Amino acid sequence: MNNFLEKCAEKGFLVSILISVFLSLGILSFLVFFSLPLIRGGHFLRMMKSGWDPYGGNFGVLPMMVGTGVIASLALFIAAPIGLGCSALISVLAKGNVGGFIRKAVEFMTGIPTVVYGFVAIFLLVPLIREIFNKGTGMCVLSASIVLAVLILPTIVMFLTDAFNSVPGHYLDASAALGATPVQQLIFIIIPFSWRGIVSGLVLSAGRAVGDTLISLMIAGNALQIPRELSDASRTLTAHIALIIAGDCESPEFKSIFLCGLILFVFTACMVLILRLLGSFGIPEDR
Amino acid sequence: MKKIKIKVDGLNFYYHQKRVLKDLKAELEENLITVISGPSGEGKTTFLMSLNRIYESIPQSRMDGKIMMKFGGGYVDIHSLSPSSLRKKVGMVFQYPNPLPMSIFKNVAFPLKLSGIKDKSYVAGRVEEVLKDAFLWDEVKDRLMDSALKLSGGQQQRLCISRAMIMQPEVMLLDEPTSSLDKDAADKIEKLLLNFKGRCTFVIVSHDGDLIGRIADRVLTLKGGKF
Amino acid sequence: MSRFMEYGVTLFAWVSGLILVSTIGSLLTFLLYKGIPALSLPLIFGETGPIDGLLLRKEVFDGLFPAIVGTLLLVIISVIWAIPIGVAGGIYLAEYCKLEWKSFFNFFLDVLAGIPSILVGLFGFTVSIFLHKHLSREVYPCLLISSLALACLVLPYIIRTTEQALRDLPFSIKTTGLVLGSSKLQNILFILIPYSFSRIISGIILAIGRCAEDTAVIMLTGVVAMAGIPSTLFSQYEALPFYIYYISSDFGSQEELMTGYGASLILLFICTFLFTLARILKKKVAIRFANLI
Repeated sequence: MNNFLEKCAEKGFLVSILISVFLSLGILSFLVFFSLPLIRGGHFLRMMKSGWDPYGGNFGVLPMMVGTGVIASLALFIAAPIGLGCSALISVLAKGNVGGFIRKAVEFMTGIPTVVYGFVAIFLLVPLIREIFNKGTGMCVLSASIVLAVLILPTIVMFLTDAFNSVPGHYLDASAALGATPVQQLIFIIIPFSWRGIVSGLVLSAGRAVGDTLISLMIAGNALQIPRELSDASRTLTAHIALIIAGDCESPEFKSIFLCGLILFVFTACMVLILRLLGSFGIPEDR
Repeated sequence: MKKIKIKVDGLNFYYHQKRVLKDLKAELEENLITVISGPSGEGKTTFLMSLNRIYESIPQSRMDGKIMMKFGGGYVDIHSLSPSSLRKKVGMVFQYPNPLPMSIFKNVAFPLKLSGIKDKSYVAGRVEEVLKDAFLWDEVKDRLMDSALKLSGGQQQRLCISRAMIMQPEVMLLDEPTSSLDKDAADKIEKLLLNFKGRCTFVIVSHDGDLIGRIADRVLTLKGGKF
Repeated sequence: MSRFMEYGVTLFAWVSGLILVSTIGSLLTFLLYKGIPALSLPLIFGETGPIDGLLLRKEVFDGLFPAIVGTLLLVIISVIWAIPIGVAGGIYLAEYCKLEWKSFFNFFLDVLAGIPSILVGLFGFTVSIFLHKHLSREVYPCLLISSLALACLVLPYIIRTTEQALRDLPFSIKTTGLVLGSSKLQNILFILIPYSFSRIISGIILAIGRCAEDTAVIMLTGVVAMAGIPSTLFSQYEALPFYIYYISSDFGSQEELMTGYGASLILLFICTFLFTLARILKKKVAIRFANLI
């Protein structure tokens, strides 16, 4: 009887984990399934290459792909150096009270809801950007990138700090005994040793930047154009999905969403593969 | 005429493909205290863990070879038993005491609960018996319902030994049982082991020369993965 | 390494720290400055009296109360789905999974964790359309669909934190039951779970926080701007994050905008509270085992 219970429990636990596997596969399948008509119809490449022009029959997602690419890259470009600097402060250069304070600030940031970032940014940052560029509404690529950078900053800092802290103590002791300053330790030992953690943190943050919906929805302007300047309004793949659904039509426009979704999914899978190759898992404990 | 309780033949142990124990052969006598000694990191604890198959909880570890123990009339390959029934006959105590966060009474009675033994008077009787054998009864009899975590290190270790002995195992494995304790506590543990000796085969890992001198009947030195 | 470079690096680090702190500082100050004046009972209950509103005697029309209740219900129901499956999955990975299969499962877990939330919402939306067409015309995006979708979103986190909590226990603790002759299941139920309980709860609280703040998923699966208190699982509902989003893009007056600040403050408070609680619980377990390793 007991043996039976044991076997049941084991099967039950197995079923639970299989559910998550099936969910991943399920999401992939439905994305592929709904994109299939486009792929079959030979429209696939055309949609990837062309712009969005409903009246011309063009439902290309190129502007959105560029939008996502530009905004996410810029956000990463802004956040990475600041994240690196902050981690250096926390782990190496200001390990005491100052470092502790910054660490607490970063931990606090992980708890701030995305929508609150967006809301505050609309009324605090956007008018500022509007002033600086002196044109447009202020809702543009630059604004969205800045806010997105703030959003992903905690992830970068926490990953990098953990990576820096996991450098074996004796390496640091040895170098200190040879007269190395903290900065020298940072540049010559800590960063090279923890490169895997650093790249993992950056890849993960890139994933978050690409996958975020609300910031670009609220702040990037949602224009259907390929952004050419920082002050141009733009639309990301994620915001596009949200907007089309909100409009709720059963039409060719609708099908373009699934293509967007497929692109995002493939990106996610690639990101996970890269993280595995680097040897870390994709889920940090604190988001 | 030597009575052999445990026969080990051709034991190879691998951690992550690295061979730690090499073609080990040993015969451990019944109801005696055998101490496994040797330099650190050579595999003494590994050998111990193969005797009750607890190494199976360590990922990427495996062994081959034969370990036979005399249960009942004849020798049985320990791999032919289920792990839980083996471990009811072969108990183990770790270097650092690991009392459960419950009362002293419940800690000691825990193995009985696992086996589904519920008769209250039987349980109370066994708990008292085994605590007396461990020379712990007088110290705790008035506070059996207090949390076991309030006991001192030495008392906790004796608690863990009592807990392991309540099912009357035929073999007891102890990994450095006194190394985390002060001299007084260590002495009490040694007294306890000598008290139990006649009813149980003890295999103790230790590098404490004094302990070996005082209580060991046999000593096996493990070096280079071999005895 | 020249002195100049050393100073440069140090300066860079300090400037980064300053940027971070001032960004958060200004965000918080701004929010508090604008939001605190907006905090008041009418913010939550509108023109209905608080007691009537709380006891559901009268409907609240102008207040945040329906949104707060909506968020609360949403979070509770999502977590009811996610906890059993998540904890069971974590147990499997930590205790039963064979090494060869681990990479396989981990890959899919990571993918599920990395999927942008809007795709999870899209999935939920599509499922509800499918059910609408093939099962019953009554089915629309609703509280039930949202909670299922949110459960999918947080499932990987609960699985992962449960697995890590179980795996990080010291060996002598992990095998306490086993060496006393327990079965694997007994060891899990009597030893592993109780010892890692705080950490598992911490992971669950983190998941709760994630559910409370999510907007993308609920936008596509049933949240609306005006719905009152949901009467059944199949009703549409309101939620705080969506309210904030909606107000930001569509506010009629300065007064309405102020409610947005108030709502932001409330949501921020809820999420910060949950995350801090999760962190405290996690530390509690770490301290307890510090001397056993």
